[in-house]
Amino acid sequence: MGHSAAKKNAASGPYSGLAAAYGFIPNLFQAQDKLPHVVDAEERLIQAVLVSEDSLSRSQKESVLQCVARARENAYCMALYGQTGPIIAREADSTLINFTVKLAKYGPWISASDLAGLRSAGFDQLAILEAVATAALGQMLCTLANGLRPPLDSEGGSPESTVLPEVPLPLDWTEPHAPYLAAQPPLAGDLPAYALLREQLGFVPNLFKLQCLSSSLLEAEVGLLESILFPEDHLTRVQKENILLLLSAANLNTYFVAVHSQVLDALGIPIEQSDRVAEDYHQARLSTEEVNLLDELQKFALPLLPSESGTRGQTPGNAPKKPFNAERLRQIGFTDTQVVEAVAMAALANFLNTLQFGLGAVPDFPPRRVFSPKDLYRFPGKARPTCDAVLSADPDADLVARVQNGESDAFEELVRRHTRRLVGTLGGILGDMDEARDATQEVFLKAFEHMGRFQGRSKFSTWLTSIAINTGTEILRKRRPSESLEEEDDTGFRPLQIQSWAKNPEQMFAASQMDALVRQAVLGLPQKYRVAVLLRDINQFSTEDAAAALNLSVPALKARVLRGRLMLRESLAPHFIRSEKADA
Amino acid sequence: MLSCAEFLAEFGDYLDNVAEPALRAHLEGHLHECKTCQVIVDSTRKTIQIVTESDSFSFPVANVESMVQQVMARVRQGT
Repeated sequence: MGHSAAKKNAASGPYSGLAAAYGFIPNLFQAQDKLPHVVDAEERLIQAVLVSEDSLSRSQKESVLQCVARARENAYCMALYGQTGPIIAREADSTLINFTVKLAKYGPWISASDLAGLRSAGFDQLAILEAVATAALGQMLCTLANGLRPPLDSEGGSPESTVLPEVPLPLDWTEPHAPYLAAQPPLAGDLPAYALLREQLGFVPNLFKLQCLSSSLLEAEVGLLESILFPEDHLTRVQKENILLLLSAANLNTYFVAVHSQVLDALGIPIEQSDRVAEDYHQARLSTEEVNLLDELQKFALPLLPSESGTRGQTPGNAPKKPFNAERLRQIGFTDTQVVEAVAMAALANFLNTLQFGLGAVPDFPPRRVFSPKDLYRFPGKARPTCDAVLSADPDADLVARVQNGESDAFEELVRRHTRRLVGTLGGILGDMDEARDATQEVFLKAFEHMGRFQGRSKFSTWLTSIAINTGTEILRKRRPSESLEEEDDTGFRPLQIQSWAKNPEQMFAASQMDALVRQAVLGLPQKYRVAVLLRDINQFSTEDAAAALNLSVPALKARVLRGRLMLRESLAPHFIRSEKADA
Repeated sequence: MLSCAEFLAEFGDYLDNVAEPALRAHLEGHLHECKTCQVIVDSTRKTIQIVTESDSFSFPVANVESMVQQVMARVRQGT
């Protein structure tokens, strides 16, 4: 990979946290210098997991990392953490090491009895959380090293210096029915990390609720998602979710297969398509490039029992027989940065999967499949709670097909149907109706030009609206370079106006005055909430169509709409608070 | 019993009348006890009604046809 950058100043450079953690900046992170925001997030995770000493000591955590590196037979990480052997000073340390080796090698077989063993040896809830998070970090670093292949660090130790204790092959596997930690509050609405998860996913997954004992760890993990998964600068969100889905299936992680299938569904990808990606992505309707990408990335699946490898479908044996081939991906058009990002996604998948194996988080909604070492089998279909409707037929489909077949005059009726709504949307984004009218023309021209790319995965009106939002955002960026859909503060919002409103507020002002009040209030919203309210309440889009237009999950769209409505209420309240005059 | 912060984080579906029965009962249990959240629900519903019914960003019907012809002229110019 491209890691020719000169070593950064270890004492005060941009990765000084890494220098503080390791005493130097490991080549593994320099190999990711095309994605500095990802390295920043990894650095924060390492600080939270490895450097902070809450319950486990630094030496205990380094022993965990050594064991994972050895279990994965990863020479780079063995050297990085291999300057001393695993610290086994007490009987309890031996229990910790044995647990780590089982989690690293046989994650799906971890059970409540393994956790009971740790508790018997004196490890409290926080220590167990730290042990699992450290092992997950180890899996992530090994995956990064397998993909990026950095040269050994001259400051590191020898790759051969650790000795792995023997852990018997597990025989019995049981589906976990309850989490292994009892630290889950019923609702924890005030942590910033939870606020961001609600914003992006619409709910706080059980896996993160289980980690409420350590807010610094939670924030670092959510920061990792924010830096690697949510942006679409290189790979698309759908491509990233497919990578997470594929590897979760290959790792036999039912929890995350359910999560990523659900997210993809909310992004407009039919659930049957996600089923195919999980079972055999060659049968899924993916482009040749995407199939090749998954071909390479499935090599990062965590090793499982050799005897079970035959049941895993697309995932070959115990360890990858063929190494990850970055060059193959470059030859078919992926950029260096996309390749690094894809490896980072695989590392994220293995990190999250290992956390789930260790903590035993139960699915947030009924999984369609349970992935077990023995079998794959379907659950009877059940309603999925975070998607409350299916796409209805597209009333524009016939006209779209005619335009795609070269009948450009059919485009006229599409323009007629959608002009008012698009001008309104762009007026709400730009705050100027004349500018909105000009921008609407540009949107229609872009749509006509790219009509061949429209594949009918969403309604035409949804696709058109997403072009309008992008066009409006581009104009705003030129006008105000600092503003974007994503830059607003995600911390909690608390209503301040708590006085009752008049019984019939709409009768308190003339229509033109009311329009002006609403316009002012809507334009005063941060952009991401403004657009959500525009689509949902002013343009009367369904929740699903609005989510698709914004490329958000349904829960995330709902969260934005709710926040926008509450902020509007706050802004309008001074005009409509109950008074004797108003209610007269 | 929910706190007000928890209520405010969860009541979006309730506003849209699509909350699952269990969630709805949970939220109404809080509403029954909490005057402040009653005010917030009532005023948020009124906000939605005001915003939905306003013509703040509407484009006059009479102007649509000229816009259609301008767009189509540019489309035909480019084909």
